[in-house]
Amino acid sequence: MNAVPRRIRRVLMGISLPVYLLLYAPLSVIAIFSFAPSLGHPGVNVAAYVLLLHDPEVLAALRRSLTLALGSALLGTMLGTLMGFGLSRFRPARGGGFWVGTLPSLIIYLPIIMPSLVFGISELIFFNFVHEWTGLLSAGLLTMGIAHVTFQAPYVALVVYARLAGLDPNLFEASQDLYANAFKSFVFLTIPVVRPALIGGFLLAITLSIDDFTISFFTAGPGSVTLPIYIYSAIARKGASPEINALGSLMIATVIGVALLYYFVTRHRERGNRIPAVA
Amino acid sequence: MRTAAQGEARGRAWRLWIASGPGLFWIVLFLLIPSGVMLGIAFFTNSDFGSPVLPLSLDSFSQVAGYGILGWSGANFTVLLRSLLQAGVATTVTILLAYPLVFFIVTRPANLRPVLLLFAIVPSWTNQVVRTYAWMQLLNPFAPVSRVAQTLGIIPPHLGLMPGDFAVLVGLSYNYLPYMVVPLYAAAEKLDWTLVEAGRDLYASGVRLFFSTVFPQTLPGLLSGIILVGIPAFGDYVVPQLLGGDKAMMLGSLIASQFTFSPDWPYGAALTLIMLVFTCIGLIVFRRLTQRLGGGEGAML
Repeated sequence: MNAVPRRIRRVLMGISLPVYLLLYAPLSVIAIFSFAPSLGHPGVNVAAYVLLLHDPEVLAALRRSLTLALGSALLGTMLGTLMGFGLSRFRPARGGGFWVGTLPSLIIYLPIIMPSLVFGISELIFFNFVHEWTGLLSAGLLTMGIAHVTFQAPYVALVVYARLAGLDPNLFEASQDLYANAFKSFVFLTIPVVRPALIGGFLLAITLSIDDFTISFFTAGPGSVTLPIYIYSAIARKGASPEINALGSLMIATVIGVALLYYFVTRHRERGNRIPAVA
Repeated sequence: MRTAAQGEARGRAWRLWIASGPGLFWIVLFLLIPSGVMLGIAFFTNSDFGSPVLPLSLDSFSQVAGYGILGWSGANFTVLLRSLLQAGVATTVTILLAYPLVFFIVTRPANLRPVLLLFAIVPSWTNQVVRTYAWMQLLNPFAPVSRVAQTLGIIPPHLGLMPGDFAVLVGLSYNYLPYMVVPLYAAAEKLDWTLVEAGRDLYASGVRLFFSTVFPQTLPGLLSGIILVGIPAFGDYVVPQLLGGDKAMMLGSLIASQFTFSPDWPYGAALTLIMLVFTCIGLIVFRRLTQRLGGGEGAML
């Protein structure tokens, strides 16, 4: 980039470094405050963490969050992979009319585009009616899981689609020439090829599930308090506390860990030119 | 008689629905139909318990327009305007921060760029409640930032920078900055620098050089960024709820309260309809602009 003079580069750096600082300041504040002195524990200490690990409510919320994230991510990855595969393999490159060409894309983008508040409240009303009329699907982990799958599947589909779109279509012809039927070519060609995207999509789905608050909040029942909901209600109840900061720090650390894992897993093929997704 | 090509096309369409069908069906059943039901509710009458009952009516929409038992009030328009304004200003802030950041990254050596970009994005992977909670602690009356503002006389003593419009703006900009950085980076990375050289050879410099060579090339990325930031910021719930307080209420909180504390489903559904109308207007304008620019939606399905 010789086109950018040294003076401008210096200005760019002068603005960007504070922006990076700004991005990490709030996260650091959470981490620092989690060690803050509290009643009966003067000085820097880990009392908040100890308290946290002995709080049955927090542990139950953690268990629910993990169950929800893993369960929904499994189903979301399955549905999403099939969607991405179908669209990249069996949809004509151009056109295809409304039903085959446009409609599937519109449906896939719907959960991504829809404001999460509208998403959450629509599901709240829907599950409420379903429960009223059939007695099934009372608000709880199950309804939350259904909602999570709904927003995970499209993201996974996009990741898988992007992976397959860069693939030589002749590979599939070759597998047909070798007498593989559709099922065999899916298992022995598609799955191995999309494996990095599959793992990446699965981790992305887990991150999406753990990150979500708004949709979870409106689809949750009284017995399905997950970590984000627990934190939200704790803030609303008693404001800032070292325990919430400790919990926040652990969540930040976990997400950064998973995010880095996702990055390094998906990176190793297309080195250099890929752009991580925002979630 | 069907030709072989037609048969082939049918076979492909058939397989498309077998593979993609379950996922598409899931989204239709659990999102498209629920949102349709929700919008339908807007045309029902409110019962004493806040649930929708017959007869069909447009009462909820006159409520949205501000007519209530106590006569007309402009409160809803204020909330709508505030939401639009907050989303607009937050988008502008993210643009102003993202441009230098993105060009800082693309002018670094190629092997550093992915890492620098990753560092800009990782904060957005943490939970929104946790991030917003961090700002609650940074902006409260006893935090150093508020102390400085109090001493400088920007805010009255003993008050914090939170709750209020300013805190909401900070929270929204912080939350959605990475959504501006990513599409802008995608555009800036592919930038044709020979055009910039050519501009310089023609003695353009500074602002003029930027707006005639760099800016047009990043415009598709910028438009995607505006959509990715503007729409969720407009409909955000967590940030105004935690950082806003009563005087900084945005549309999201107004809608949510119709379904939680003081139920009035038809009214809430009508408000949601308004939110979706504005979201759709934003998307349509964006699509038109990108089409006029000749594509730029590389990664779209």
